[in-house]
Amino acid sequence: MRENHLKILQYVTGIGLFFLVGGYHLLLMHFGKGDPESWSSVAQRAASAGWLTIYILILIFGIYHGLHGVRGLILEFSLPDRAVKVLNYSIVFVGIAVFGYAVYIPIHAF
Amino acid sequence: MEKITFKVQRYDPDKDKKPHIQVFTIPFKHGMTVLDGLINIKENVDNTLSFRSSCRMGICGSCGMLINNLPMLACHTPIEELKKDTITVKSLPNFPVVRDLVADLSLLFEKHKSIKPYIIAPDMAEIEKPTAEFLQAQMQLEEFVQFAYCVKCGLCMAACPTMATDRHFLGPQPLAQAYRYSADRRDGGAKERFHETDTPHGIWLCHLAGACSEACPKGVDPALAMQLLKRAIISDSLRLRKKPIPPSVAPPQAEKKPRVAVPEFTIKRPNAKS
Repeated sequence: MRENHLKILQYVTGIGLFFLVGGYHLLLMHFGKGDPESWSSVAQRAASAGWLTIYILILIFGIYHGLHGVRGLILEFSLPDRAVKVLNYSIVFVGIAVFGYAVYIPIHAF
Repeated sequence: MEKITFKVQRYDPDKDKKPHIQVFTIPFKHGMTVLDGLINIKENVDNTLSFRSSCRMGICGSCGMLINNLPMLACHTPIEELKKDTITVKSLPNFPVVRDLVADLSLLFEKHKSIKPYIIAPDMAEIEKPTAEFLQAQMQLEEFVQFAYCVKCGLCMAACPTMATDRHFLGPQPLAQAYRYSADRRDGGAKERFHETDTPHGIWLCHLAGACSEACPKGVDPALAMQLLKRAIISDSLRLRKKPIPPSVAPPQAEKKPRVAVPEFTIKRPNAKS
């Protein structure tokens, strides 16, 4: 994947997070009914396919956006080409591992 | 003020372990530039002081230095505008020091060369054996002419904070010139330049600090060029970039009529040669 493809995804996930997280917050805290933090409310959302989809999207967008940002920070330290390759593979590995660990809970609750 | 104090970076790699500051006090004249001061020091106080200069009128870019912590052209900086009694002059940051105020700019030129800073015409046969000039409308010229004013002084590279942390970063000057040539309608090498600049140490490390545009003495605005380059690369990647129109070539010269012979004089002068 060329750098511009990664950057386009960074922009897309950034905008996506703005609407997903912002929209999620507005929906739950300002436009929702009842107490969104109550056990019954959480359990209801956990059993909903729509909410599950939103959670997984936030997870994917957040992991990509965050790890790509960290990669950008590390790349500014004059790494040789071989170190950049190791960094890229490490970031991908960490991303997949974090996603796998984090997605287990909402899927299991569903 | 009658006198001005110069704190000048001195460094002789054969003698010194690291650069140090030497203080000079010289007479001040109205209208004096920093370069005038350095020339005065070299001619009258210490002739071992080394610095680059050439045109002394802000067009060659040779005298780029760090003056009172800002990268500037010494010939283009009147001392009165600095509004200080003490002027601190050092070599350009982000470049190795050769000696005193002379920076090694070879990295700048290597990076500039890597982005292919010349017209890569779609029709190379026309380039190698030109039959006519490429035409360019005023509007087409205005799309990139601002970026063509670059004199390769290196001030933008010295000011860039990303250059300070990542020595592999291409830098504002090569990236701005990559856009300058890619935006030129006579050029067909945009994709080659996109390939060179779309790298982990390329255009995406520019975070729009804007220090390059503030430092540029010719109004090039490299920050703008870099953002336009980002847009061009993404547009090309998403297949949104308009297909470049091949440059038009000047029409062939009209055939000339045969020259009319000069008529003979009807009155012969006595000493006229026949």
